[in-house]
Amino acid sequence: MRAHRLVFMLLPLTMAAQNLHEFEKKVTEFTLANGLHFIVVERHEAPVVSFHTYVNAGSVDDPSGATGIAHMFEHMAFKGTESIGSKDWPEETKAIDQVETVYDRLDAERNKGIKADPAKVAALESELKSAEEKANSFVEPNLYPRIIEQNGGEGMNAQTSWDSTEYFYSLPSNRMELWFLLESQRFIEPVFREFYKERDVVMEEYRMRVESEPQGKLMQAFLATAFSAFSYRIMGTGWPSDVAHLRRADAWRFFHEYYVPGNITLGIVGDVDPAEARRLAEKYFGPMQARPLPPLLHTVEPPQEGPKQAEIESPSQPLLFVGYKRPDQYSKEDPVFDVISGILSSGRTGLLYKELVRDKQIALEAEAEDTFPGGKYPNLFLFFLAPAAGHTTADNEKAFYQVLEKFKSQKVDAATLARVKIKTRAGLIRRLDSNPGLAGLLTAYHAIYGDWRKLFTSLDELDRITAEDVQRVAQECFVPEKRTVAYLIAPKQAAGGAQ
Amino acid sequence: MRYFGNKLVLLAALATAVSFGQTTVAPAAIPNTPAAYRELKFPPLKHIPIPEVATYTLPNGMKIYLLEDHELPVVGGMVRVRTGNLFEPADKVGLAAVSGTVMRSGGTKSKTGDQIDEELENIAASVESEIGESSGSVSFSALKENTDEVLGIFKDVLTQPEFRQEKIDLAKSEMRSGIARRNDDAHGVASREFANIVYGKDTPYGWQVEYATLDHIARADVIAFYQRYFFPANMLMAVWGDFSATEMQAKLTKLFDDWHYEQPKVPPFPPVREKAQPGIYMAKKDDVTQTFFIEGHLGGQLNDNDFPALEVMGDILGGGFQSRLVQRVRTQLGLAYEISAAWGANYDHRGTFEIGGSTKSASTAETLKAIQEQIERIRSSEVTQDELETARQSALNGLVFAFDTKTKTLSRLLNYEYFGYPKDFIDRYQKGLEAVTRADVLRVARERLHPADLTIVAVGKTGEFQKSLATLNLPVSSIDLSTEAIIPIAKPEPKAGAGEGAKATELLERAQQAVGGADKLAAIKDMVEIADLHVDQSAGGATMRRMDRWVAPNFFREDTTLPFGTVSIYGNGKTGWMSSPQGQAPLPPAQLKPVEDKLLRLLFPMLLSDRLAGRTVKWFAEGTLDISDGQGSTVRLFIDGKTGMPAKVEYSSPGLNGAVSTIDETYDAFEEVNGIKLPKRITLIQNGHKYADVVIVSVKLNTGLKLEELGKIK
Repeated sequence: MRAHRLVFMLLPLTMAAQNLHEFEKKVTEFTLANGLHFIVVERHEAPVVSFHTYVNAGSVDDPSGATGIAHMFEHMAFKGTESIGSKDWPEETKAIDQVETVYDRLDAERNKGIKADPAKVAALESELKSAEEKANSFVEPNLYPRIIEQNGGEGMNAQTSWDSTEYFYSLPSNRMELWFLLESQRFIEPVFREFYKERDVVMEEYRMRVESEPQGKLMQAFLATAFSAFSYRIMGTGWPSDVAHLRRADAWRFFHEYYVPGNITLGIVGDVDPAEARRLAEKYFGPMQARPLPPLLHTVEPPQEGPKQAEIESPSQPLLFVGYKRPDQYSKEDPVFDVISGILSSGRTGLLYKELVRDKQIALEAEAEDTFPGGKYPNLFLFFLAPAAGHTTADNEKAFYQVLEKFKSQKVDAATLARVKIKTRAGLIRRLDSNPGLAGLLTAYHAIYGDWRKLFTSLDELDRITAEDVQRVAQECFVPEKRTVAYLIAPKQAAGGAQ
Repeated sequence: MRYFGNKLVLLAALATAVSFGQTTVAPAAIPNTPAAYRELKFPPLKHIPIPEVATYTLPNGMKIYLLEDHELPVVGGMVRVRTGNLFEPADKVGLAAVSGTVMRSGGTKSKTGDQIDEELENIAASVESEIGESSGSVSFSALKENTDEVLGIFKDVLTQPEFRQEKIDLAKSEMRSGIARRNDDAHGVASREFANIVYGKDTPYGWQVEYATLDHIARADVIAFYQRYFFPANMLMAVWGDFSATEMQAKLTKLFDDWHYEQPKVPPFPPVREKAQPGIYMAKKDDVTQTFFIEGHLGGQLNDNDFPALEVMGDILGGGFQSRLVQRVRTQLGLAYEISAAWGANYDHRGTFEIGGSTKSASTAETLKAIQEQIERIRSSEVTQDELETARQSALNGLVFAFDTKTKTLSRLLNYEYFGYPKDFIDRYQKGLEAVTRADVLRVARERLHPADLTIVAVGKTGEFQKSLATLNLPVSSIDLSTEAIIPIAKPEPKAGAGEGAKATELLERAQQAVGGADKLAAIKDMVEIADLHVDQSAGGATMRRMDRWVAPNFFREDTTLPFGTVSIYGNGKTGWMSSPQGQAPLPPAQLKPVEDKLLRLLFPMLLSDRLAGRTVKWFAEGTLDISDGQGSTVRLFIDGKTGMPAKVEYSSPGLNGAVSTIDETYDAFEEVNGIKLPKRITLIQNGHKYADVVIVSVKLNTGLKLEELGKIK
């Protein structure tokens, strides 16, 4: 064990550069005239190819009062196009317009507030229903995803997070052109059909993920407490009352502002000929109109003046989130936070696991996440604790602070620091063997840092982190003034449980 | 693996906000509309390279599989052991899991588990062990240059585990915490209870770890369990990654050279008990807003000749976005985000056919009903050629992903070997898929889906949906989550003296039947009725014409022609207005009550009160029910004991002077309208004195009456 430590403290010096050099040979990059950026990686092990579309816009970009629209748009992106999913587009578009006209009248009546005529509202609601039924009669339901499935599509899905919206699936490589066609059309001529039915589906998703999930409920309260101004305070699903009033026009506005070519990165990884990929990219994505980049968010979270806390009462077993404000991922301290999270929470040697789960046995889980809920803007260093049976959030919190204070008071030993670095490096190597994983990683690194190479060069930054850096940043970050704690506790424990 | 895994499970849910699709994704229908995508021509799929796997058997009986893969400088390996929790004694459930965990965490003869943790992580390697239902495994992962060192630790864990007491205690205490938390997640409750009920809670497939069974597990049990199953001839070992197969063979031969240990052959796993457990099993969980449900029954095995047809059937029913359940329940009805079905099959024992999803509490019965309809549909007529083609194409086209990494090929081979399947099983499966016909799909749906055997587990706010489940006509039980015991809720058996709730439902169902059936009643969406009210001489002796109009579910208007003009009253259950020649005004809440009362006793909705949200039906006395709307109004319904026909309603009504009167309305002279028997004559008695006769001049049902019409002031 001792001998190996030496070997591995030397190894990192050469490995990053070597990996990058080898890897770079497989990568082709190009940007279309409209601003769309493509990253193509050749891996010919099997006749399959994975695609990943990374849109640099997420739920933080939701306008106030229309939270949940980024997520709602993501759902609409599977509803097809003018030519895919309609039995008769000219008639369908008229019918969709009619739905909107009736909805406008309904909103106009409802906007009278207390003076609204309930009979009129009811009548318009009924009229809206008929208009929707008519519009839906022109729909070939779910045709867009069906085509993908029918062609052997694998892992088709999409996700909206706070910072980004991503769309992805894999195909047998002989069907690559199908992806070019489908992916380009959904962002060139999207059709927001069945909007209000899908809104019901999205409401069910909120009920499932947030309202019916102890962790979801706690997270909603935690974020809303930790952030007072910045949009990280709202769950990606938005507030249900906003979602219930989203309109088709909201989705259009969001699409026009954020789904601009310069804001989208596409990754293609697998059995692909880069020249052919480029030709198809020009053919299918070339017609996409260049538009100006969306505005940057200018809301800045005001400085936190003291510790905050939130409580959720729930009959389920207790949980605890502790978050500390930290700078965004562009900060030069970003890699230090990676190392800190590696030391505190990684495998079976993380300090939190060793102290709280293994030795004191007061927690069932004790984990850290260095960037949460997103990284583009100042965010949180998050800790998650699940007390073991018979233990409370109070004793877990107390023991957790002891671990954290001890960590802050001492310099991390060389062996631990080396272990975290080598594990991070090996973790990257192990991630290089999956087409979908690579497509996601490379597009994200390009979109976030402007260059996918940062995936490798960040390892060099990591290597330069010293024990002094770790201690300094921990001492700056883990202080009560930057802290938010959220407790999920049983109603009867509520009185004295959270101190 | 467990500790890395936990972080993923817990934080993945948080790190990713939300996603479009559900977890299961599979096949798709062919469109009619010509579009550019249909004109695409694809070249044939390239040859799929099948990697070469070297196999041999060590002198001690251990079978080895080696697969070179030089893309990345890493090596991985796994030993698969024929064991499993199916072999646990009933009073020591949890023994296999504890043994699997502590094999690694409890260290070896020479090193503690904690020492091994540090040693492995210092070189970014791992060794993990676990025992599941029907197999156990010890695995490793290493950077290429550390292969020897990691193999050494791997071998020690496999052959010399020490099972230190403190780690047994830790594993047991973590499992106790797991028991304490296992009812926190509604979806977890549904899938656990479903599997346990379908397989039988008193069989090895259905029993589960409890505090008491953990208390029975001692270190001696753990060691005995390990010794019984972990012997070389009971293992398959696979190693893959960046090495030369010849060198690795030499290395492994030497490594296991000194390990000779024999045990009697391990017996087959116990058979699955084949006994249907039909019914609805409800678990009350009030801290959720959705009902999480799983329904289904026993499925089959992978080596069943009909497996390809069954899988196609499952895909068409609920496999992907094209599937009938997603189309109907998610896309058309908007009732669920997650809804899916799959024919379940295992290698060596029957799997479970399952349909699962979640919906808001109020729409539980509606969703389950929609699912039932789709099960019936797939059993009653052939799927379309498009559906079949899409399901087959997507399965066949997707098959390449079973070969997209070398390790998939290796693990498949290992599975085939472990469960005694032919090496070319996947090719046979492909041929089977190609041969599936529409007739096959219908045949297997009829032969293998059994609606009468369905076990339905529904977890959520039972108070909000229990009543409406009655419409599904299945026996209902409740699962008490504090004890996880199943308590049958008596089915309506009035003669056997069952609960009053059940008696009430049965009586109301009888009345529904008598007037023409619940379905016919439910099909009525609007009504226009004209009646003459002949007030008795004793009360003034006038005659008034009245028009009652109703649009489902609760829009109601009454226009009464009086000498001075027409008085109209309108209500929709929440708000309302009144208009007379003097003008129009909103009804204050106090005056809305008579409108709500009237809505409550409108015959068709009243007879369907067992399925209307907010309404309750209570047994009052023999032949008599109290029906309430949950907002303070109640009407008493008398049902004729011989015919089952509604005979009379009784209710109280606030008079203009504030005094409350009791009013009886006796039905008479029933005539059929749209297949429903309706009274043509009603006698009104107020506080015991005859007040009026109502003669129905005409009743029209399902006229297409529009809400706008109803809401118009004039």
